[in-house]
Amino acid sequence: MKPFTYIAPGSVKEAVAALHENGGTARVLAGGTDLLLEWRRPGVRMPAVVVDISRIESLRRISLEGPDILLGPLATHGELMRSGVIRSGAAILASAASTIGSPQIRNRGTIGGNIMNGAPCADTVPPLIALGATVTLSSADGTRECHLSGFFNKPYATIATGEELLTQVRFPALLPGTKASFVKLARRNALSISRLSVAAVVSVDDSGLITDARIVPGAAHSVWKRTMEAENLLIGKAPSATLFAEAGRVVSAVVIKETGRRWSTEYKEPVIAALVRRTLEKCFTDNDGHPS
Amino acid sequence: MDPDKQTIIGSPERRVDAWGKVTGTAKFAADYSLPHQLYGKVLRSKHPHARIVSINTGNAAKLRGVEAVLTAGDIPGSRKFGVVVKNQEILAGEKVRYLGDGVALVAARSAEIAEEALRLIDVVYEALPVVSDPEAAMWEGAPRIHPEGNVFVHHKVRKGDIEKGFAESDFVIQRRFRTQFIEHCAIETEAVLAEPAEHGGVKIVGSIQNLFSSRRSVAAALNLDLNQVQLIQATLGGSFGGKDEVMTSMCCRAALLARATGRPVKMVNTREESMLESYKRHPYAMYYRWGAKNDGTITAMEIRCIADGGAYASMSPFVTWRSVVQATGPYACENVRTDVYAVYTNNNYTGAMRGFGSPQVNFAIESMMDELAERAGMNPLEIRIRNCFRRGSVTATGQKLDHVVSLQEVLEKAAGEIGFEEKWKRYRAATEGTHRRGVGLACSYRGVSLGAEGADAAEAAVSVQTDGSVIVSSGITDMGQGAGTQMSQIVAGVFGIPLGRVRFLNTDTSRVADSGPTVASRGTITGGAAAKNAAEVVRATLLGVAGEMSGISPRDLEMAEGYVVRTADRSRLASFAEVAAECFEKGRPMHGIGWHRSPKTTWDEATGQGDAYFTFVYGANAAEVVVDTETGKVDVEDFVSVHDVGRAINRDAVRGQMIGGVAMGLGYGLLEEFVLEEGIPAQHNFDEYLIPTSMDVPPVKTVIVENEDPAGPFGAKSVGEPANEIAAPAIVNAIFNATGKRITELPADLERVRLGHALRRPGPRGSALKETEQSLPDLSCKIRPAER
Repeated sequence: MKPFTYIAPGSVKEAVAALHENGGTARVLAGGTDLLLEWRRPGVRMPAVVVDISRIESLRRISLEGPDILLGPLATHGELMRSGVIRSGAAILASAASTIGSPQIRNRGTIGGNIMNGAPCADTVPPLIALGATVTLSSADGTRECHLSGFFNKPYATIATGEELLTQVRFPALLPGTKASFVKLARRNALSISRLSVAAVVSVDDSGLITDARIVPGAAHSVWKRTMEAENLLIGKAPSATLFAEAGRVVSAVVIKETGRRWSTEYKEPVIAALVRRTLEKCFTDNDGHPS
Repeated sequence: MDPDKQTIIGSPERRVDAWGKVTGTAKFAADYSLPHQLYGKVLRSKHPHARIVSINTGNAAKLRGVEAVLTAGDIPGSRKFGVVVKNQEILAGEKVRYLGDGVALVAARSAEIAEEALRLIDVVYEALPVVSDPEAAMWEGAPRIHPEGNVFVHHKVRKGDIEKGFAESDFVIQRRFRTQFIEHCAIETEAVLAEPAEHGGVKIVGSIQNLFSSRRSVAAALNLDLNQVQLIQATLGGSFGGKDEVMTSMCCRAALLARATGRPVKMVNTREESMLESYKRHPYAMYYRWGAKNDGTITAMEIRCIADGGAYASMSPFVTWRSVVQATGPYACENVRTDVYAVYTNNNYTGAMRGFGSPQVNFAIESMMDELAERAGMNPLEIRIRNCFRRGSVTATGQKLDHVVSLQEVLEKAAGEIGFEEKWKRYRAATEGTHRRGVGLACSYRGVSLGAEGADAAEAAVSVQTDGSVIVSSGITDMGQGAGTQMSQIVAGVFGIPLGRVRFLNTDTSRVADSGPTVASRGTITGGAAAKNAAEVVRATLLGVAGEMSGISPRDLEMAEGYVVRTADRSRLASFAEVAAECFEKGRPMHGIGWHRSPKTTWDEATGQGDAYFTFVYGANAAEVVVDTETGKVDVEDFVSVHDVGRAINRDAVRGQMIGGVAMGLGYGLLEEFVLEEGIPAQHNFDEYLIPTSMDVPPVKTVIVENEDPAGPFGAKSVGEPANEIAAPAIVNAIFNATGKRITELPADLERVRLGHALRRPGPRGSALKETEQSLPDLSCKIRPAER
């Protein structure tokens, strides 16, 4: 009684061929930290074919290429946490990865899986969007690159077709003077899913004025997005407690406007505002940005 | 080892099961297998409440690899079981009453085939209205779960004149408290291996807490004599009260399948099956109304509690009885009126869980005590010391406490250790900042063992081998709580030998006497007393032999450090092993049976008066928390646990119980909640049901207080449940100290702490729910919703 056909390709070429042959109905398995749990659900429909990409060594890299950091989708959360490239060029991502699951989960779970699963509480996605990440999708027909900010359609759904494999994540390393931080609210102190999170990347000029800001709340919208309204509020101004509090209220208002007033709004409204304020404050205290 | 040490009692010895558990040689129930065994699986209900119109098993039976498909009609004997009320069914016949009810069984050559066969069974249901709110279940005209009506327990305590008490009061405090369903979360799920026995009957190895009550039900279901049903305890991976009825049911089912196929049948629940079917700790709705004087004296206590019993009676009558006895807490009051009800609903049935009716009422009592302190202008320590029982106090049930009542001692130790009074005052005055600190205090008194629930007696057998090694067995079971170590250490203490010379055997119902259930923190006090008695029988024989060997009167001899010594000059006459060998040579019995029956208790059901328990234990907890007032996140930063255990048999075992109890109590206070909506569970596994991790539990300072009690072996009493029952109120009281806000519903999660109430989702929720774009997952969003 075989639950599905299992294919373990040795290269990207073989992997996309397998996806193509199965007409996009196959599921891609990497670390298995989401998929294996999903398959335990009573009444779940098992896929006919599973393509296990975990043996494709070329998808495992973390490297610096010019101004950009390149990640293979098989880079694990544990590797991101420990990588010198990430810690010096995108500490915000190392910080977010370190909040995921337990050591065991971080050693299996991958950045590619975190993106492709598309759960609204995925902890690496808000920092990646704030960092301006793009993803490369490969298929038997070739490759295409898209911005992560436009990658998600709705919870658990992306623009990738079933025949496409995520093969690379690319984003520019943070420049000196850029500040970044990630704040996560969870119900317990380890092995916990985000109740809400916020990623922020902020640049300041020599006079101390904010020149660029990216704020991405996590587990708040149905699809991640930068909160331009709050970002614009910050640009050109000097950092201050009042300014950050106001930015928090703006983000909260934008989220509520999108989701509508729901049963959980009573809690989320003040808490998102507080978390955004704290994330911005953290940028200017113990930030995860470029070590200056 | 200290050369001057006279006794092993109290020593922090290594657990007798430690080596096997850390090296992996210990065998848990799921580790047992036999050649030709089959795998049993249960088809469970699709509705929380429905009439079964028909069950068609034809297609399942035809599946290749399926050896048996059984329904209720295939049970030869009694279809129902239950220790107090016999109304739980091994397989539902006419009606399902909660989602965990089994309707059919399959035995197949693999677990996968068995699963596949379950999908081929066609059950037609006629859905009935679902009753999920226990208070609504009490209404006249509410749909009935069982023919006799939904209210199946009403315990009362009546003392003094409640009207007079309120008339005398200067003020009245009235609060409503609610607690939640709690899952036991033993790391090992339910598992058994049942095989047809050699000469008829059935033999079952399993993860079973109360083997004798499970055996009775198996015998009744299969029409067998008790001596034809042998239940053997495997090394057990935790129970916390959770492996009673759910295991009885699994034992019966596996035995029925083994009988039907003539082959061994193994059954192991997945975590999801376990969460769906197993019973939980009772949620309580509690209405507390106290009258008090301005000086803090309590003049009246009016208490009404409604326990959600779920679909079956299970232990509810006993759980709620402990609640009614202890509902006033350890505080003096002349006028008491307490009513505790248990009602049926279509939720998971609720039964025994560590605490057994005390964690709920302690949350209410200890919250009320802090409210009283506020009104009387006293601090929480002062108000408790002012009102708490002392030696000679009379409880709400009219029982005079004529042993050492150490409440003041445990309270002062807990408060002193954490610096309570100074911090309480300082934190209360601090109103700045988003992260606020608070300290909280809670205490309790707890009746030891079963009390007036019923007969309270146990057996232990001690067998000395010719090489001086010793085997101990008992009807009291070790579930990981350490009962085996306690009993072994007591025996080693009586014989004056190292613990390494003693081996404890897991319970085998055919080789030891029915000793009742291993519940109610009675392992050490009852099982330990039986083991002591058994060892003393053999000790007397051995000393007699030693007397003959040495020509010294046995009265002048004792056993210490592995030798028989002359009391007068401590001279060693012969080693314990030499005396044992000589005893065998002389043909004297080296085997002793010990029986212990607890002192008498009394109870009058009409008035709720009597000597409910033969003795009590006392404990106090103190917590220090940091509350993030913007998000509602609470971190427990410091914790002190103080318990008077009578006497510690093994100090490390006592500390282990105390620390584990606090961790579990922290989950109860802050995190855990098994949510059922219209009878449908929202959690299926530990990704959604959150228990504390090691990152959430602070280092716990433990203080062991020892006021020896003549009722226990070497003066020992209990610690297993007391350790768990006051952590949550200590934490909630600390939140009050930090924020000035009172949490009246558990758990004190993010939303309740931030908003003062829980978020209530309209309509169904949970990860089984199909999410739409409009409906973002809020509770769990880690797993993609099921595609059906």
